[in-house]
Amino acid sequence: MSSLLDSKLPGLRLASTGSYPRIGDGPELQILRRATAALDRGERNMADLLDAENEMTRRAIADQMRAGLEMITDGQIRWYDPISHIASKLDNVKIAGLQRYFDTNFYFRQPVVTGILKRTDALVAKDFSFARNALGHLPTPKHVTGKLSIKPVLTGPYTLAKFSVSSHAGNGAIDSFAALATRALAYADALAAEIIALTQIGASLIQIDEPAIIKYPEDWKIFEKAVAKLIAARDKHASEGRRPELALYTYFHDSAALYEKLIALDVDVIGLDFTYNPKLVELVASLGSPKPLGLGLIDGRNTKLEDVGEVARQIDRLLPKIHGGRAYLNASCGLEYLPRDRAYAKLELLGKIRAAVAA
Amino acid sequence: MSREKLERLGLNLPLFPTTSVGSFPKPDYLVRARADFMKGKIAPDQLNGLERKATAFWIETQEKLGVDVLVDGEMYRGDMVAYFAERLPGFTEGGLVRAYGNRYYHKPIVTGEVSWPGPVTVDWWRYAQSLTKKPVKGMLTGAYTIMDWSFNEHYPDRRATAMALAVVIRKEVEALIAAGCKIIQIDEPALSVRSEELPIALEAMENTTKNLDAYFITHACYGEFEQIYPGMLALAVDNFDLEMSNSDLDLLETFRRHPFTKDISFGVVDVHSHRMESAEAVRRRVERALAILPKERIWIDPDCGLKTRTVEEAIDKLRLCVEAAKSFRV
Repeated sequence: MSSLLDSKLPGLRLASTGSYPRIGDGPELQILRRATAALDRGERNMADLLDAENEMTRRAIADQMRAGLEMITDGQIRWYDPISHIASKLDNVKIAGLQRYFDTNFYFRQPVVTGILKRTDALVAKDFSFARNALGHLPTPKHVTGKLSIKPVLTGPYTLAKFSVSSHAGNGAIDSFAALATRALAYADALAAEIIALTQIGASLIQIDEPAIIKYPEDWKIFEKAVAKLIAARDKHASEGRRPELALYTYFHDSAALYEKLIALDVDVIGLDFTYNPKLVELVASLGSPKPLGLGLIDGRNTKLEDVGEVARQIDRLLPKIHGGRAYLNASCGLEYLPRDRAYAKLELLGKIRAAVAA
Repeated sequence: MSREKLERLGLNLPLFPTTSVGSFPKPDYLVRARADFMKGKIAPDQLNGLERKATAFWIETQEKLGVDVLVDGEMYRGDMVAYFAERLPGFTEGGLVRAYGNRYYHKPIVTGEVSWPGPVTVDWWRYAQSLTKKPVKGMLTGAYTIMDWSFNEHYPDRRATAMALAVVIRKEVEALIAAGCKIIQIDEPALSVRSEELPIALEAMENTTKNLDAYFITHACYGEFEQIYPGMLALAVDNFDLEMSNSDLDLLETFRRHPFTKDISFGVVDVHSHRMESAEAVRRRVERALAILPKERIWIDPDCGLKTRTVEEAIDKLRLCVEAAKSFRV
């Protein structure tokens, strides 16, 4: 049944947008919380924490597969938050106090750039390898055989820079990390190195999350320059036949004002959050897209399950206007803002919606 | 203008009235009792007795320190939204979601029409007020914040949810006023998170407090207030209680560009740090406030609720506030 439906919509793939809840209500789903608390009390060590992270990562992957997703992630189970998880792995960054993450009731730790940013180790590449390996050890549902992919996720350079501050004066005002542009380009250099590392270990699609740019469109030029470095990294080994796709995802704000600029970027996929503007579907349908889109039509921030028919109709409007009819159907943002049972229900909903579109 | 309102309400407060934002740390015996209660090891009456004991401790402590406008310390509350959601018909407890790091909470879900079940906070206010002759603030969470910090499966949109909640919170405000409460704090920490929704937050507060005779304060924190200033000054309250010290008083520059027209509870100590500020550092913060704001409008308090500090730290931070205020009254 699923294969038949899929064959009618070969370009519409079910995807994760990134994060997945790292906790559930049952005790078996609280092992990471307990391990972290025990580590803080000095009763466990880092190896115990790693075990718990590994187990919850395997569970996140298994849930995505069970729900029928074809483009999955590791659930970002190991991430303290989307900002400090990346920044803390770079040299010359200190992690400071809590700040609210956009309009969520979730808080991240703010990085303080104290000197030249330097990548000396993998940011997510090892986690990606683990997840891909874990995926390989789980039985693949028949209807996704040969179609299942996993993508690493990185927070983009502009968003990292926007939510960082600096205590580094640099060599004069122009070089100072107090300047947003300088921080963004420095983060971009580090992320470019990570993209090359991910390319070398076989990542075929890399998701770059840049939610901040649609909230602060006045920084477009800074953003564009930073993203250009990632595009160059993507293309570095293209002549050797190794060129991953870059999927640039935006969320947590209305992207209508920047839509035309976003689709003109030389990235391979643009992810959009449709929950902030009911008119965005019409805008995208009228302007079309020259590249695949990540259709964030399912609200990753609210537990209410969307009406299947209504979303299917939105996809019917959008898909013919997207070049090649190729799109990812995903939640508007990572699902860790939902309780685990509701997050899983949202994943299952994706498949029901595609079935309704194909019917 | 607000000072006239306070006097009309029979409240003769000194210059630089001192207060606190709401929560205090729970004594160890109460933390243990709450955990035991959750496990079914102790009865509700036993827990209630310990909550009353801890409330009495904090009322006595504030009196000894010389605080002018007291709070009950919220010994009987956990999360400021969940406390109301657990008591209001229309809400269902949701599963766990992450607040930060390894901290999780049960985020409420609006699954039906919300309604007022009768007084929620009034008995606690009455009890706290019975222990002191100084005014005790009524402490509520605002409709916009309850909406923003809950999932919604019932109302068509965020505005409709906020307005329904405003009706409920207004009834609680009316009940507090009927009980004799004259200063009511309605916290809106979500006020600044979606600047485009400021009109919804303003309308919800207007519906909550309009034509009700009390001195209203709202507390907001962790926000990009520059995005909603000066529009936020239209909020239907008399006093904004703002986290100032955590951001090195950055907001004062914003107030310099456009005058701040309400009373302000000016946060002079950082509640997120174990470090104790020096008395001189706190005085300098007040001096910086005085360079921008008229003295008649300034109240002095900590940045935010003190519940994340130890009991000793909370007392020391409060003492710093009181001593700073007194030094400017002479």
